[in-house]
Amino acid sequence: MFKSLFRKDIVLCVALGANANNADEWAKYAEKQMRGDRSRAKIEMSIQTPNWKRTLEIESDVEGKKLALSTINSPAKEKGIRTLRIENNMWNYFPKLKRKVAVSSSMLLASWMGSDFTNDDILKASSMAEDYEHKFLENKKLNGTEYRVIENSARTDAKVMWPKIVTYASIQDCLPRQYHYFDKQGTLKRILFLDQIKTFDGHKMPTQWVMQPQDDLNKKTQINYTDIDFDVKFPGNHFSQKNLTDF
Amino acid sequence: MKNYFLLMLLIPLSSWAQVKGEISGNVEAQTRHTWNNEAAQDDLAQDWEEENFHLFYGNLNGKLQFKGSRLESNVFARHSQSNLYQDPKNPAVSEYIAPMIFTFPQKLVARDVFKLQHTEEGSDYRSELILNKLFYEWDYEEHRFMIGRMYINYGQGEIFNPINPFNQPTGLTAISQVAQGNDGFNFEFFVNDKYTVDFYFLGDKSLEGYDGQIDRTMWIHGEYQASDELQLDYVVGEDQRRHKLGGQVRYNFSKAQVFAQALYQTDFVDDKESHPLWDTLLGYDQQVTNKWHVRLESGYQKKNRFLLTPSFGERFLPTEYFVALANQFEVHPLVKLTGTIVNDVKTGFTYFITRNTVDLGHNMEFEIFGYIPAAKGSDIENPAQKLVTTDVGAALRAFF
Repeated sequence: MFKSLFRKDIVLCVALGANANNADEWAKYAEKQMRGDRSRAKIEMSIQTPNWKRTLEIESDVEGKKLALSTINSPAKEKGIRTLRIENNMWNYFPKLKRKVAVSSSMLLASWMGSDFTNDDILKASSMAEDYEHKFLENKKLNGTEYRVIENSARTDAKVMWPKIVTYASIQDCLPRQYHYFDKQGTLKRILFLDQIKTFDGHKMPTQWVMQPQDDLNKKTQINYTDIDFDVKFPGNHFSQKNLTDF
Repeated sequence: MKNYFLLMLLIPLSSWAQVKGEISGNVEAQTRHTWNNEAAQDDLAQDWEEENFHLFYGNLNGKLQFKGSRLESNVFARHSQSNLYQDPKNPAVSEYIAPMIFTFPQKLVARDVFKLQHTEEGSDYRSELILNKLFYEWDYEEHRFMIGRMYINYGQGEIFNPINPFNQPTGLTAISQVAQGNDGFNFEFFVNDKYTVDFYFLGDKSLEGYDGQIDRTMWIHGEYQASDELQLDYVVGEDQRRHKLGGQVRYNFSKAQVFAQALYQTDFVDDKESHPLWDTLLGYDQQVTNKWHVRLESGYQKKNRFLLTPSFGERFLPTEYFVALANQFEVHPLVKLTGTIVNDVKTGFTYFITRNTVDLGHNMEFEIFGYIPAAKGSDIENPAQKLVTTDVGAALRAFF
């Protein structure tokens, strides 16, 4: 059984080739595809319950693992609010009041604009490939589809929010379809569902992300990537205090 | 100075071809029922028991973005109505204090050379229209130059922020989306990724009135990121006829942020009788869970004995030593509950503030608030604390 599955991986997950049986390579591949070296993404986020829905439009610029700048383009109340991350430092800027606020690291944990995503998710502050150790678990079938299952355990020196994340990756394209986030007590707290794979500038990535908190199944937050540019070139001072406040 | 001001506003007209414009703003209607403190009725001539107070206010922001520069403006309008206002044409009747607290910050321009405001008062209302922002900003490489009426907003304090005398913190007030304007120039130098210096040259007529002389403010604010965890700010300059020197230290722990501020103010630089003043602040800020945020601010502000009414300047709450603990809970993505308790360590005066906001969608928000004195302070140490009323109210605000 295992042997046949292993063979199936090599045949179908062409992108990883001979590395298809190395869990680290799966994590690196997913990050390279979905994150790239730098990107500018236009995102629509909707926070939903059965009774209401709230939608935000965001522009998100990311370079490497240390620099990120996000800008809210709608709704009117939050329009123009920007968040800059340089390494472990983070600032929010409120242009209507010309107020820049240094944000504590603990705010990475905070819900981003009332959504089920955190600041950490939006600013891509942690790296699955670098901040976690990876090992394969037994493959699992979910809704009739078989997935490669990878357990990601936080490295002891990594400053990350989630001590354990389990990835369910497609055997066909090696890209994750679900991330299961566990807290220190080992309780499953939320699941991120990834779907609608599209190719942008040679990068395959899921364009529909749905975060489902496990303590409230009536609520979810959906992100749709409406556009993403992996070939973007940012000016030298793009991720700077000056650019943060230049809005 | 007026000619320079107009000239700088006309410069952007030369690049109309690349102009991008934007209008935004907010409006709010607020009503509250208020109960007076018995001691204020007896001892401080505030002879009313309970009243209603209605407030309507809004901001209209305009922005014109040119290549490498921009022009920004904000018009603030406020209309308040209550029997607590008294006929301004009747000098025999002194004004009640409560409306000043309900509309804090009353002064929408901290340092002003130009008046740029219109006020109308009647026996039961007060209306104001204020241009509290109008500046032209020019960017050149790592420098920024600004002229006009501008917001100056720095410092971590949300309840007390002594290193910034140019913008009142509004962490405890019922008015949101408000900042104070300042007339003058600003040069901002982004020395490198970690170090920024601002030079401010401001004019001020608030000490002498519009018929008097312009007092100068020359101010430097530096911000230095010493390491991933440590940020240092310093301020130094002359403002409102005092030399002032201060700073802020902010340390970012993995789970929380701690900050401290101090500001020392000398005697008046002219011969007018005065004494030095100093203020300190210690703060703590933590996101405890993804729904719960805690902030603690404690501070000291020296009372100015030489003011006609000895006071603590233009602070929202009259306290000398204070500790404030603010909790914010997100009970639902659309509902935020905020509870803040403020205690004057010296007098025992304790005040509870709650503001609970519901996002109604369609860029609208509803808020229920309460301002409740929980313990009386010592009568002798700080009689002004008797002026604090008990209020409950509701607000409806819209953004565009």
